[in-house]
Amino acid sequence: MVSAGAVGFEGIAINVWLIWIIPFVGAAIMPAVARAGRRVLNYAAVGFALASAIAAASLISFGLSGSEVHSQVSWISALNLKAGILADPLAIIMTNLVGWISFLIMVYSTGYMHGDRDLTRYWFFMLFFIGSMQLIVLSDNLLMVFFGWEGVGFASYALIGFWYHDKKKDYVGVEGHKAAGVSLWVSPTHAGMKAFLQTRAGDIMMLSGMFLIFAYAGTFGFKELIGDQSWAQQMAKQNLLVPAAVLLFGGAIGKSAQFPLNEWLLEAMTGPTPVSALIHAATMVKAGVFLVARIGPLFFALAAFNMTQFFEVVAWVGAITSFLLASQALATPEIKKVLAYSTGSQIGYMMMALGIAGLSSHFVDGYTAGFFHLISHAMFKASLFMGAGALLHTVGSRFMTDMGGLRKHMKKTYIFMLLASLSLAGAPLVTSGFWSKDAIFAAVLESGYSYSWALFAMATIVAVMTAFYTFRMIGMSFFGKESRHIEEMEKGGHHLHEVSANMWVPFAILAVGTIAIGVVGFIFEAQIHQLFSAYLGQYFGIHQPGQESAQPSVAPQGNRTFFNLNPIAAAASVGAFGVGGGLGYVFYIARKADPAIVSRNIITRGIWKFLYNRWYLNSALYWGSVIAPITAYRFVWKYFESAFVDGINPAFQYSMVYMSRAVKGAQTGITQTYLFVFGVGIMIVVMLLFL
Amino acid sequence: MADGSYFLLAATFLPLLLAPVSYVIGRRSGVNATTWFSFGVLAVSTGLLLIPSMLLYGGQQIYSESYSWGYFGNFGLRLDGLSLPFALTIYILCAVIAVYSKPYMVRKIMGDRISEEDHGLAPAEALSGYGSGSSSTGISNIESGSQTTVLESQRYLNNQSGLYFALYLAFSMGMLGTVLATNLIEFYVFFELMLVPSFFLVAIYGYGARRRVALMFFFWTHVGAVVLLLGLLAMGFFAGGFDYTTVKENASKIPAEWMTLIIFAIVIGFGVKLAAFLVHIWLPHVYTQSPTPLSALLAAAMTGIGAYGLLRLWMDLLTANYAQYSLYIELWGLVTMVYGGAMALMQDDMKKLLAYSSISSMGYIIFGIGSSSVLGVTGATLLYVTHGLGKAILFMAAGSVMLQTGTRNMSRLGGLAGKMPYTAVLAMIGGLTVIGIPPTSGFMSEWILFGGVLQTGVAQMSATKVTLFAFGILTTVLSSAYFLWMYKRIFFGKIPDYLANVRDSNRYITVTMAVLAALSLIIGVYPDPFLNPITSYIKGMFAGTSDVLPTPSQSSSIHVTSSQANNALPATQAQALVFVAKEKSGS
Repeated sequence: MVSAGAVGFEGIAINVWLIWIIPFVGAAIMPAVARAGRRVLNYAAVGFALASAIAAASLISFGLSGSEVHSQVSWISALNLKAGILADPLAIIMTNLVGWISFLIMVYSTGYMHGDRDLTRYWFFMLFFIGSMQLIVLSDNLLMVFFGWEGVGFASYALIGFWYHDKKKDYVGVEGHKAAGVSLWVSPTHAGMKAFLQTRAGDIMMLSGMFLIFAYAGTFGFKELIGDQSWAQQMAKQNLLVPAAVLLFGGAIGKSAQFPLNEWLLEAMTGPTPVSALIHAATMVKAGVFLVARIGPLFFALAAFNMTQFFEVVAWVGAITSFLLASQALATPEIKKVLAYSTGSQIGYMMMALGIAGLSSHFVDGYTAGFFHLISHAMFKASLFMGAGALLHTVGSRFMTDMGGLRKHMKKTYIFMLLASLSLAGAPLVTSGFWSKDAIFAAVLESGYSYSWALFAMATIVAVMTAFYTFRMIGMSFFGKESRHIEEMEKGGHHLHEVSANMWVPFAILAVGTIAIGVVGFIFEAQIHQLFSAYLGQYFGIHQPGQESAQPSVAPQGNRTFFNLNPIAAAASVGAFGVGGGLGYVFYIARKADPAIVSRNIITRGIWKFLYNRWYLNSALYWGSVIAPITAYRFVWKYFESAFVDGINPAFQYSMVYMSRAVKGAQTGITQTYLFVFGVGIMIVVMLLFL
Repeated sequence: MADGSYFLLAATFLPLLLAPVSYVIGRRSGVNATTWFSFGVLAVSTGLLLIPSMLLYGGQQIYSESYSWGYFGNFGLRLDGLSLPFALTIYILCAVIAVYSKPYMVRKIMGDRISEEDHGLAPAEALSGYGSGSSSTGISNIESGSQTTVLESQRYLNNQSGLYFALYLAFSMGMLGTVLATNLIEFYVFFELMLVPSFFLVAIYGYGARRRVALMFFFWTHVGAVVLLLGLLAMGFFAGGFDYTTVKENASKIPAEWMTLIIFAIVIGFGVKLAAFLVHIWLPHVYTQSPTPLSALLAAAMTGIGAYGLLRLWMDLLTANYAQYSLYIELWGLVTMVYGGAMALMQDDMKKLLAYSSISSMGYIIFGIGSSSVLGVTGATLLYVTHGLGKAILFMAAGSVMLQTGTRNMSRLGGLAGKMPYTAVLAMIGGLTVIGIPPTSGFMSEWILFGGVLQTGVAQMSATKVTLFAFGILTTVLSSAYFLWMYKRIFFGKIPDYLANVRDSNRYITVTMAVLAALSLIIGVYPDPFLNPITSYIKGMFAGTSDVLPTPSQSSSIHVTSSQANNALPATQAQALVFVAKEKSGS
């Protein structure tokens, strides 16, 4: 339990600095490397990602022993702010997850982006993306986190709009699809802007929260904030602590695409598929969850100030999002969008778990569950996206209706996507998705929060829907008859074939990994649980009830082992898989029933339309925050700026001209007139004097 | 007082003295020579400015040079934490943009000449806004022309560019003198001196109805300046002298009712300069119709001098009534921010969009100045620097696009990112600077600024101020929106057919933009060189008043809160104590 590397760039601390500096350096030299040819460029880009991942791996032993690296250098000396890195167990697990998954995605990219003209730009932003995310993970203060935070925002903007010529094939959505007057068929650059602006709305909330804390604490540092809590006392007195925490969470809402800032995530599918994988699995959306994992214990440790409301907000936002997006995933025809909805929904699970952690006395349970789900989701979602990318690459269409029967042509993709899908759907006992979801269910049930039953009910329904849309996706793309699109392709001489090895190997690794973790799921979970209970106890003073001393014993803490699974949670999760998966199987794999029955009934058709139009949330958002303000601005522009303000000058000018004309008119040059006026004037003056 | 050194004197007057030389060089040796000569003059002057700046980094608070000036007191030049960022920004921008001017002005001058010959019209009528469109045809006309025509146009170009750079140098001098002045009259003289050359620059080299616009520019800023002059004179007479030091010592002698009037005059005077809401009438036209290098300088360096004036003359010298009026200043700033941003969203003309965006940015600065906290004012000052860099880059990028495509209508542009990669990348950096995204310097200034605004809001428990903050920070989304949309319309999407053969601008343009972009990134990651002098000076400036919040600091809050912890004080009272104690402990 040593805290190493107190100052500067020495010892192991240098590795931590390097983890995020390497990708940035790599990004910076990409344009220069590009001169050496595309091959070298590819190798260099992947090499930088690998180097960063290796630097991350060098910390694993540190992290497992429960120690941390904290090193600071002077930064903004005018305000006494220091730059620093903090690699504690949480950050070390996360940085490895990010590093290695990103590395695999980079390898995959070499295949997927093969032949693209703008490869330099692609690699630049990919490395920039990874570096920014690692910066978020490893920073020791909120200000540096915000640097990374905006870095991922900017990189995602650039990568979502990567194909900036806005060709029709790069759009997302069904052509011509409108909901309440707002198009849901969106071009890449539009989607990029949307992502940037929507996450920016979250970012300003986060900034506000940061400023609030800074105004009281005079620091952004996590260590400093937990070390001396007098700032919290002050803030609590003014009832500002919960608002500050909720505002910080606002940043996470934006970045992790939680309700009500969830809409950007779906249009983000316009980017190249590896980018989607990166956004959904390793960077970007995970940043929000990580932020909550980072600040959650801090606020829980301030329990004396009654932070329940904050955690309630987190839990409910998570629950609502997971329900909302899972339901929408049922009705979309695009494969990447199914995965996008599913990401938002699964992130909602994580948020719910982290929120419920703060509402229960067993903080560690919920915390572990949320983080475990983050790990397993990162793996299977990255794998699924890369698999979906392989399908897109081969079929040349993003619609599942253009696929079908692909399992014969793309056997490897089929197998590994199936494995990852099972994990997403939560197939019992052998997938990591099952265990992490089960842990969340159990944490919710055991929390003792008064509305935990409602959260649990929502979570269960979401699990049913998850299993259903997962099977639907697999069924529509791999089973059934070949679609007309594929038949045409084959007629046109295209031979459908498996993707190259540098594409399928990365997602195969992750798919196998998620199953491997699943097989030993309960042991894995117990390990994380133990690690986190030691971590939280040591650094935040958060202990399990009945374990007040800071002596983490060797045996797993808490009550989560295989032999005392929460029976209700396990039953719900198995049942959900059974019901949802079973329905999905009947409709889309066995094809015993036709999904078109939905349109035969007015109610089901209405529901379908409601889901297909995304609950009209996107339309509401556009009407409220785009169309309405612009109309107002146009009004001001027309009637105030153009007419009034711009009118001041001519008015001034013409009034001058008019006055001069009036004065000029008096200068007639006729003596009689002058004399007459003069005389009249004299008379008036005389009359005034005498009357 | 550094005796016997003339760094600032030389830095200020060297450009003015050598302005005629640059005209002669232009006539004799052509546009290249005069460009590099002017650049050299400005670079040397920047160097001269840097030498005393080093003293400030060494810990010295003030460096000044002073000469007797008869009745008015002393004619002095001084560099301190407040004038340093302004002075350095002004000269760095002037030097860099001088180089940028060359290709742009060559095109502009020749384009005007051709259109004058072709149509027999004054260029003002001939070019209804889009001068460089005809300039491309102009160049080909020159090439096909006879030998004498070539010689003639060469001579014309030489004359004109010589004149341009002579005026340019005088303009630079005026701006620098304003921020270095140590005397109210001196300040006013320089303040007007920068107006005169810029008037001629707009009138001679502008687009569209350039003479009208130049007059309008002169008229409005002059009206502002005269209102300001009344305030300055009143200040001087009541204080018994025009020197800053005298005024500062005797500020308390000014009667309270006069003080109100003086501050009113100062705020209106500089409000016009800053183009704050309702007195922004002149700005959109001037920025749109100026030659682009001048637009860049006006937007980036000149307008912000109004902020310097507010800080120096009101906050530094008078200090009075600041906390009292700060709320109104803040409100004015907010309205300007929102209004500028909203109007920018409505534009189709790149330069007009940038003009409204400048109004919005000046709104941010006013917003920060009205925060009545050290943080907010520091942020506003740093924002001058960063906005200068960012907006200069954006105008230069707009100029680059205009040069290559011949239009500045965004509806006629699109998809240029691939054709003009350097311009596109640098414009993005400039834009990120303006909208305040790390790691550009814009973020550094904006977070400090907004942090200060919120700090006052919560410290005073003022719902109004917190609401203002909320709207203020929401406006950053608006800023992002207009920039990203502009960027999308110029650089993304389908390339129109007639732009299929567009190429990127030459190195005069890209390298100068890159220099500014690099500066923006450096300050964004490591702001100390600018932030340290600013912060320490502004801390000192407000040390005497208890109404202005000091920067939050960790150590002081610890002591106070630990002593307060057990007392169940009402929240406001406890809070007041915290901040009082923070002030006592200094930093």
